[in-house]
Amino acid sequence: MTSLSPSPSPPPSSSLTLPPLGLAARRSRISGVIRRDFAALRRSPVRMFEILFWPTVELLLWGFVTLFLRTQQVPFVVAFLIGAVLLWQVLQKASNEISMAFLEDIWSRNLLNVQVSPLSSVEYLIGLMLFSLGKVVFAVAVMSGLALVLYGFGVTSLGVGLVPFMGILLLLGWSLGLVGISAVLRFGENAQVIAWSVVFFVQPLAGIFYPMSVLPAPVRTVAWFLPASHVFEGMRTVMSGGAVPWDRMAWAMGLNTVYLAAALAVFGWALNYARRHGRLSRFGD
Amino acid sequence: MENPLPVIVYGPHSCRVTILEATHLVKRFGSVTAVRDLSLTVAEGEVIGLLGLNGAGKSTTLHMLLGLITPDAGSVNLFGQDLARHRIEVLSRVNFAASYVDLPGPLLVEEVLDAFARLYALRRPTARVDEMVELFELGPLRRRRMMDLSSGQRTRVQLAKALLNAPRLLVLDEPTANLDPDVGDRIRSLLSRLAEESGSAMLITSHNMREVERMCDRIHFMSDGRIVATGSAEELASHYGVDDLEEVFLKVARG
Repeated sequence: MTSLSPSPSPPPSSSLTLPPLGLAARRSRISGVIRRDFAALRRSPVRMFEILFWPTVELLLWGFVTLFLRTQQVPFVVAFLIGAVLLWQVLQKASNEISMAFLEDIWSRNLLNVQVSPLSSVEYLIGLMLFSLGKVVFAVAVMSGLALVLYGFGVTSLGVGLVPFMGILLLLGWSLGLVGISAVLRFGENAQVIAWSVVFFVQPLAGIFYPMSVLPAPVRTVAWFLPASHVFEGMRTVMSGGAVPWDRMAWAMGLNTVYLAAALAVFGWALNYARRHGRLSRFGD
Repeated sequence: MENPLPVIVYGPHSCRVTILEATHLVKRFGSVTAVRDLSLTVAEGEVIGLLGLNGAGKSTTLHMLLGLITPDAGSVNLFGQDLARHRIEVLSRVNFAASYVDLPGPLLVEEVLDAFARLYALRRPTARVDEMVELFELGPLRRRRMMDLSSGQRTRVQLAKALLNAPRLLVLDEPTANLDPDVGDRIRSLLSRLAEESGSAMLITSHNMREVERMCDRIHFMSDGRIVATGSAEELASHYGVDDLEEVFLKVARG
């Protein structure tokens, strides 16, 4: 650097920026979150690899299990398991991707830059959710192609039910991701493991790879309060030739609304807690 | 501990508009009181230095002024608005850089600046990024990843990011800590000119006394969470009967 001599006088701030509470400014800030995460993804082959690696491993693992079970004449099992693997990816990725985006701000010591910007929490979360939606759609599209090529499973066999199934799992995944982020805000970086693993608390209860009827009755009663249980049970119903159980979907969506609202409230509380206790300043120390 | 100077001399900025007014700030972390009943104001175009030993409460104070830490008592008003209630409006006119924060490593310099230009809702983000690249002579670096830059180069990008929205208040926590003397000197000159020509106010912490002497109109010395002395570098040196700010620092720090 030889000099820093050009005129530094900037234009007046008001002509430089959009009105901060206007829709255009909000759109700009949300796009900032998405563009940043997209750039980070594009610049990191490891992260691109990671989007597809684990889902592919799961697909292969369960795919071979189903091939074995097919030889044992177990009816429907191929479609059930492959369908379950694909939908499970929606839930797991929706949860992990927004936790991951937040954790990357901590790991790169960029969290303070984001927190002192005029980005509101709602805009930040919308940005994270939209970007995670893109990644989920990409991963599921690739997985669906693989499932078709390797096992002859067409995701379209889920019919019109695919839309509510995926929508419900996305919302639940985002709620769980918010709980994971909240845990990190409340308990510090040591709680990162919660952010990663919170979605796995759902796995044994939601009847992903087996019907809900195999759960003990008391556990099943609790499990019906998980929107994911209705999705996976609904998926098996559709694959068995039944209609989409819209009443179950409505109930699951109602539960989702309650959980998302609760997760947002927990996130808001945890962020305030972090600000009160100076945790934001200490992340990455 | 010496008594605070009784009179604050504002010099050339005495008739300027106050843009930051922090009143009776208190912050405790468990049994430790980090900031005790601290009040300060910053006027348009003023460059204020905040000095003190490590642990004196400087960064906690700055973080309360930026909304990163919620004070236990007291209030922060920026541009006549309460920070707690008008966070988005207030923060769109403020910016921040510090030696202990970084920018996302995998991103190219221009991608980082573009993302922040959008977070600050700039009307013409691309044009403004180009201006900052030119101002900080980042042209040869703009297509390089942040993680591949030297610490001095990263600091320049941080400062470019901090000036993207032409902030009316720029908060800098040890801004030149990672810079070699040459680049540090150029950055100081640039920041001083910015304050003079644009009317942006700055609040700076630093352990470089010469930097503070050169840049700051007014200096607050903090000790044990309190402001214990205030004035220009000359006033403080005269008050304590020493030659320069470094000696003032040692005198205040050692009680």
